[in-house]
Amino acid sequence: MTDPRLARMARTIIDYSLALKPGDLLRIEASALAQPLVAAAFADATRAGANVLFRISLDGISESLLRLASDEQLAYVSESERVETETVTARLAIGGGWNNRSLSGISPDRLAIQRKARAAIGERMMQRRLKGELRWCITQYPTQASAQDAELSLEEYENFVFGACFADRDDPVREWQKLSSMQAALVERLNRVKKLRVEAPDTELELSVQNRRWINSDGKANLPSGEVFSAPVEDSVNGRIRFEFPAVYSGRMVTGIRLEFKDGRVLAAQAESGEDLLKAMIATDAGAARLGEVAFGTNPGIQRFTQNILFDEKIGGTMHFALGNGYPECGGSNKSAIHWDLIKDLRAEGRVFADGELTYERGRFK
Amino acid sequence: MTDPRLQKLAQVLVNYCLELKPGQQVRIEAAALAEPLIREAYREALKVGAHPSVRASIGGLTPIFFELANEAQLKFTPEIELFAIEKLDARLVIWADWNTRELTNADPKKMAMAQGARKQLFKRFMERTAKGEMRWVGTLFPNHASAQDAEMSLEEYENFVFGAMLVDRPDPVAEWRRISKEQERQAQVLNQVKTIRMQTRDTDLTFRCAGRKWINCDGQQNFPDGEIFVCPIEDTVEGNIRFSFPGIYMGKEVDDIRLRFVKGEVVEAHAAKAEDFLLSVLDTDPGARFVGEISFGTNYGIQRFTKNTLFDEKIGGTMHLALGASLKESGGVNESAVHWDIVCDFRSAGEVHADGKLILKDGKLLI
Repeated sequence: MTDPRLARMARTIIDYSLALKPGDLLRIEASALAQPLVAAAFADATRAGANVLFRISLDGISESLLRLASDEQLAYVSESERVETETVTARLAIGGGWNNRSLSGISPDRLAIQRKARAAIGERMMQRRLKGELRWCITQYPTQASAQDAELSLEEYENFVFGACFADRDDPVREWQKLSSMQAALVERLNRVKKLRVEAPDTELELSVQNRRWINSDGKANLPSGEVFSAPVEDSVNGRIRFEFPAVYSGRMVTGIRLEFKDGRVLAAQAESGEDLLKAMIATDAGAARLGEVAFGTNPGIQRFTQNILFDEKIGGTMHFALGNGYPECGGSNKSAIHWDLIKDLRAEGRVFADGELTYERGRFK
Repeated sequence: MTDPRLQKLAQVLVNYCLELKPGQQVRIEAAALAEPLIREAYREALKVGAHPSVRASIGGLTPIFFELANEAQLKFTPEIELFAIEKLDARLVIWADWNTRELTNADPKKMAMAQGARKQLFKRFMERTAKGEMRWVGTLFPNHASAQDAEMSLEEYENFVFGAMLVDRPDPVAEWRRISKEQERQAQVLNQVKTIRMQTRDTDLTFRCAGRKWINCDGQQNFPDGEIFVCPIEDTVEGNIRFSFPGIYMGKEVDDIRLRFVKGEVVEAHAAKAEDFLLSVLDTDPGARFVGEISFGTNYGIQRFTKNTLFDEKIGGTMHLALGASLKESGGVNESAVHWDIVCDFRSAGEVHADGKLILKDGKLLI
C-alpha cells in the first residue's frame, strides 16, 4: 500500500496548488525514482478532468549530454519543446534524483552554454505565468540522495518532507489555507512599511521596501511553501550581514558568507569557504551585486537546514536575501542571470524594525 | 560494467537500423526499466552528432488512465504530439515492461477509444516512414516480465534476445547485411506472384498480391528482424484461419483465434479466451476488420514462442497476419488505428502455394 501521506500530498498539489480544471494540460516533470508520487498525482489529475503529459528523466542522461555533446548539441532546443512551452497550462516539477552531486565534475562553462540556450524557454514560462495562462508547482519527492544531503535517514527525511507539506495532517489543504490567511494579514502589514532594519550578531542592514509589493507564498507555486517576499528598492540597501547557513550553487557550497552593502551594491564579500565562487557569482553581471529579493520564512514545519533551497528558504524564523534577479510582480527592477538565495537565521538572536518599530524578534512577528 | 552486448546493440541500432546522421532529431522512447540500453543508445546518438531526446515512461500509469479517464480524456491527443511526429527524423522505440499483463482487466471499449484517438498520429507516422522522411526501429530490452512470459530466467532470456539479434557475434552489422541480401532475392521472386494460398490445420486462406510489393525486413524497423511481408489486395482475402499461437494486443492475451474472411473482411471471429476483447478490437474502426499485412517469418535463430510479437512473428517457418492498418511501402491502402500481428505455425503440416506452385513446406521456404 502507498504511504497515505503521498496520497494526501498528491491531492494537495492537484486540488490546491494547481487547482486543476477539466481541459487543463498538465505536464509532470520528474525522475523515474518519483514514480509513486507521479502515479498518485496522475490519478488525481485525471479525476479532476485534466490531460497529462509526462517528462520523465533517467539517471545518467544529463551527464552524458554535458560530457559528450558538442557545443551545438548542448545548445540545441527542439521546436517541439518551444511549442510545448506555449501549450501546457500547468506544470508539476518534482525534484528528487539519484545523486545530487553527479554534475559536480562538469565545467561551469558547459553548464552556462546550456543555461543560456534554455533561458528563452524559462522566460516564456514566466511571461505566461504572469498573464495567468500557466500555473506551476515545484515540489520534492523524498529520495536517498536528498536525505543524505539533509544528513537524515530516508525515513527521517520522509517525515521531514511530508511534515513540511502538512501531508502528515488529516486535511493538508485546510492547513495551507490557514497559513495563507495568516500570511495575508502579514502581507497587508508589510505593504505599508517603508524601511526595514535587521539587527543580529555581525548584522546591521537597512533597506527600503517603499511602494514595493509583498507576495504571499502559500503552497501553490512551491510545495511546501511558507514565505512572504518582496523586492527591495534597488539602491537602498546599506550595512552588513552575516549568513548562518551555507549557500549552495550547482552542487558547490559556500559557508560563513559576510556581505557589506553601500547604496544597494555589494562593497565587500567574504566567506569561510568557497569565497572564490561567492566572488564569481557577484561578478556574473551588474545586477548580481544587488539584492533582488527580501523575504521572511514562515513554515513552522521546517526547522532544519537540508541543503535544498525549496525547504531552506521557508524555515520558520529565518529571512532570506537573494542576490540578482528581482521579481517584477513585487515591483522589482533588478535584472541578472542569477537569483541566489542566502539565508539568515534569526531564531536565536535577531530583531527586525519596520519604520523604527520592533516588529520581529527571535524568529517571530510581534 | 555494462553488458558488452548492450553496447553492441546500441551501435547496431544507431548505425545500422536508423543510420543516424549529424543534426538529426531522434527520440528514444522507452520504459525507465530499459535505462541501461537507453543510456548506451543516447551515448551512440550523441557520438554521431545527432540530437537525441529521451521520452521515458514509468510503470503503473496506464492502468490508472483506463480506470479513471473520462471520454474526453480517453480521446485526447496532445497537439504537441502531432507536431513532434512531423519534426522527428527518427524514433527508437525500446520495449520493456514491469508487467506485460497490467492491462488485462482494463475495459476493452475504453482501450479501443484511446486507440482510435491516436489514429491521426499513427497515420502520419506511417506516412512519413513510408515516404522515407522518418526512420524508426522498435526493439526490446530483456526484462523479467518478458522472461517470465517466455518461461525463462532473465539470464536465459538475455541469451535468447541477444542471440536473435546476433549481437553476441563479433560483427553483427555484417551478419545483418548478409541476411538482408538473401531476403532481398526472395522478395524479388515473390514480387512476380499474383495469388497466395496458405494451408495448415483448420486453415485455408487465399489472397491476391499482384502489383503489391513484398518487403524485405532486415532490421530497419524491427530489431531483431527476419520477415518478408506484403499487404494483400484488401478485398481479396478469402477463407479461414486458425492461429496456433495466442494473439497478444495491448497487454491482453487472446487464445485460439479463428477468423473467417469474405471479400477481405472478417465476417466471423472466435476465441477460446478473451473473445469479447477480440470483437471490440475488430470494432475499433472499419479498417480493423481487414488484413493490413501477411508475412513469412524467416529468422531461424528464433525457434520458440515467447509471447512477444517482436520475436514470435519472426520465427522461421511461421506466417503472420496483421489486422488493421496496412503498410504504405508495400502498396497497402487499408487505414485503421489498429495493427495487430497474429502468428500461425507452418512448421508442421503447413503448405503455401504461389500461383499454384509450392513455395513453403513444413516451415521451409523453397525459393
